[in-house]
Amino acid sequence: MLSFILIIIAGLFFTGIVIRTKSIAAGRKGPDVFQPLRDVARLFKKGTVYSETTSFIFKIAPVVYFSSVVMASLTLPLGGTKGFISFDGDFIFFAYILALGKFFNIISALDTGSSFEGMGASREALYSMFAEPAFFILLGSFALLTGNTSFFDIFGSLYLGSYTIYAIAVMATFVLVMIAMVENSRMPVDDPKTHLELTMIHEVMVLDNSGFDLGLIQSAGYLKFAIYGSLIANLFISGLSLPVAIVSFLGIQFAFAVAVGIIESFMARFRMGHNAQFILALSSVSLLIFFGVLLVLGKLA
Amino acid sequence: MNLEIAEWAKCLLCGHFVTLIIGIVALNFVANRLKSGTAFLFVCINALITGYLAVQALVNGNFEVQLWGGQFIGMVPFRVDGLSAWFILIVNFASITGCMYGIGYLKPYNSTNKVINFHWSLFMIFQASMTWVCMIQNSMAFLIVWEIMSVSSMLLVIFEHTNVKVLKAGMNYLVQMHISVVLLTIAFLWVYYKTGSFDFNSISAFFSTNVNIGLFLVFFVGFGFKAGFIGLHTWLPHAHPAAPSHVSGVMSGVIVKMGIYGIFRIITFLKSDFVVIGEILISVSVLTGLVGIMKASVNKDFKRMLAYCTIENIGIIGLGMGIGLIGLGTHQVYFAFLGFAGALLHILNHSLFKSLLFFSSGSVYQQTHTRDMEKLGGLIKNMPHTAGIFLIGSIAIAGIPPFNGFISEFLIYSGLLNGLNFHSNAIITLLILSIASLSLIGGISILTFTKTFGTIFLGTPRTSLHNTPREVPFKMRFPLYLTILAMLSIAFVPGFFIRMATLVLKGAFPALTLINVNTFKYVEILQNISLYSFVFLIIVMLVFLLRKISVKNREIAESSTWGCGYVAPTPKIQYTGKSFSKPFAKLFSFVLLEKKEYSELSNEEIFPKDKKYNSFYTDFFEEKIINPITYYLINFINLFKFIQNGKVQTYIIYGIIFILFLIIGTVFQMLT
Repeated sequence: MLSFILIIIAGLFFTGIVIRTKSIAAGRKGPDVFQPLRDVARLFKKGTVYSETTSFIFKIAPVVYFSSVVMASLTLPLGGTKGFISFDGDFIFFAYILALGKFFNIISALDTGSSFEGMGASREALYSMFAEPAFFILLGSFALLTGNTSFFDIFGSLYLGSYTIYAIAVMATFVLVMIAMVENSRMPVDDPKTHLELTMIHEVMVLDNSGFDLGLIQSAGYLKFAIYGSLIANLFISGLSLPVAIVSFLGIQFAFAVAVGIIESFMARFRMGHNAQFILALSSVSLLIFFGVLLVLGKLA
Repeated sequence: MNLEIAEWAKCLLCGHFVTLIIGIVALNFVANRLKSGTAFLFVCINALITGYLAVQALVNGNFEVQLWGGQFIGMVPFRVDGLSAWFILIVNFASITGCMYGIGYLKPYNSTNKVINFHWSLFMIFQASMTWVCMIQNSMAFLIVWEIMSVSSMLLVIFEHTNVKVLKAGMNYLVQMHISVVLLTIAFLWVYYKTGSFDFNSISAFFSTNVNIGLFLVFFVGFGFKAGFIGLHTWLPHAHPAAPSHVSGVMSGVIVKMGIYGIFRIITFLKSDFVVIGEILISVSVLTGLVGIMKASVNKDFKRMLAYCTIENIGIIGLGMGIGLIGLGTHQVYFAFLGFAGALLHILNHSLFKSLLFFSSGSVYQQTHTRDMEKLGGLIKNMPHTAGIFLIGSIAIAGIPPFNGFISEFLIYSGLLNGLNFHSNAIITLLILSIASLSLIGGISILTFTKTFGTIFLGTPRTSLHNTPREVPFKMRFPLYLTILAMLSIAFVPGFFIRMATLVLKGAFPALTLINVNTFKYVEILQNISLYSFVFLIIVMLVFLLRKISVKNREIAESSTWGCGYVAPTPKIQYTGKSFSKPFAKLFSFVLLEKKEYSELSNEEIFPKDKKYNSFYTDFFEEKIINPITYYLINFINLFKFIQNGKVQTYIIYGIIFILFLIIGTVFQMLT
């Protein structure tokens, strides 16, 4: 449960920190870290406008999306403490329950019968599909390295001993950061602040959502960031005592948020056509990790 | 061997033949509107009889019955073991729901006396022949019932025989099934040549003294035609859309599984070469899965999409069996168990959700008379129940919790992960790549099914249809609810099904008898997964409740979809299914070959006339491999066309030459 609470806390401030970093990097005054929370709180209080084209799918989709993210966050451990859900192969459950949320998000976008939202849905389906193999190769390699198949056991037995393992950890961080960017539709892949519907992915999918539903989608987005942040944090905090682990967990989440802000400030969005190649490249980095693991285990002698 | 059961089973089997014949005769004497009901009754009786035998085999162990099969074949052994039982139960469930659905689906055709008669008789024969395939263990008799199964299903496919396309699809299916039969015959004769027996036990004897891989590959290709492994799959996307929906549901749900049954049965006889065969099977299956789902994602004919999706699922099943084989070869029983159990459960799951999807798409076809999803849209408002059913099927088939698809895919994933502690780098790499491919397959199926569901049921109607589609009657939805119930029971009580699968596997593989299912952690994990799925549903409900409470006093308004300021939106500006999958198709254009048909604007054309533009995706294997081979084959055979030229004079000359040959031969005593 501890990890769940920490993920919620991290999720509350994550987007705020990203926005703050961006405004500092751009030399703007900018909003403070609580602004995203205020936005969501206001959305929760607002009324809703539904398109005449939509059906019940449109109404339940944000609920399913939000719940799937909550459910996924329950599987994550914190260093030496298990998550609420932990079993062998729980990362498969993690990936597939997130996929359920995605599924509903996509069909809710198609439910509006809008050309823009269909476009966003198509891109979301394509990009998140390409991110899957990278994630599974990565976790598969860790399973091979540690001989375990649950998040808790994998991260618990991942000791950073040799140089090769450091290299692997660095590459794994890179892959996880990039998967987080893809899954959260952030900068090199998608620009959340763009002002043209044709160039968006995630934002264009939720064009017709408003009020409580939009609030749910936004808060799911915040949580999702913290989920990937905690995956990265877990790479490094195994074997630490609980207080140290909590502090470093939050520290790594903070560093991740700042990193996202910096990436967003200094990088331009890729051309849409190049995104797929970029995400496929992630899978090859994951394969590199796999070969690194083989090397560590002495199987490539 | 249980003698009492065997005696009893003998009576039941004879009764089974008799009821089948009575059923076919009875169909001729009942009124037209009662025909489908009568057929349903007999399908149920036959299902009860064979189902009873299957349950007996599962509960009390295997039994064998010898029935006299004519002068030529002699005694035919009917052996019912766990493996047969598993398949028999699946066949019967799909046949019952298919028949029940067919009653409503074929209602408009009730006036066409002969066709309906023939159709339902064939349906009964089809069901019975599939259960026989699972029981008969004599090669000759097996080939005969196999043939009955193929021919009856082919005749069921060409229900709309006046349509040339349907006939062509049927012929294509028939021809391919016969190539399969040729291969199977070769394989059985090979066994007969070496061992001198047509009994299936002799296959086992063959494997213990000879190289395994050769014979296995012949069997694999032979059965693979039925199962639809890649390269051998080209009949599926033609035959399934052509058949009436209740038949395509059963065909896709179970007849394809008969090919899998064959392969499974042969695997149980294997004695060596496990690892090599497993590696081959995994490689072929992964390719099958990937190519199948890729093709599915770009098809606009929704029944053809489902056919390709069947190919994908065959890939997943094959992957599980490959894992099992490698496990057997390396003596890792739990690894083998995870693979085989995953495959068995996926066979069951796929038979459920695929028939569900075919039936519900049949309802859509019945109401709209088109299979082109680009012409549909917004059907969720006219057919909310069908839409809901299709949605459940889509989520389940994409392998997403809280439905049953996840259970079997999870077992296969676990198998793959458990195999990572092998010492061979080749196997580890293969497994890692399989994990990656399986996740990619999952991703592409999400793309495929969001596209299909979104295009057919969501948005606004893209074209105006002749009749307003209405929800199909409850009678047609009832079998679908039954199927959903079965799916949910697998999703929420997986422990029961995995225990059944364990029984099957213990019977089939002596190596796996050591497994203690009560202490095996994956049984507990699966139960936990269904618990977590339940927790998930509770979370969803809580959030929904929260939403309901908080939205209660808020202002709710209705307005048109955000159009970016455009004031004259038409249904045509919606994203189409084609455009949804286009970016994906473009990336994989080396497999997904797009063809465009249009006429260029000519120079003289000052005032352009109306033009037609058509684009579609062709099957890589059909286009690049099968068609060229057939083309050259036909060209080569045409060289000998002059022999059969239709002139009576030439034929007389052939006769004379032959007689002369005989005479000269006798005179010079060359014929002895």
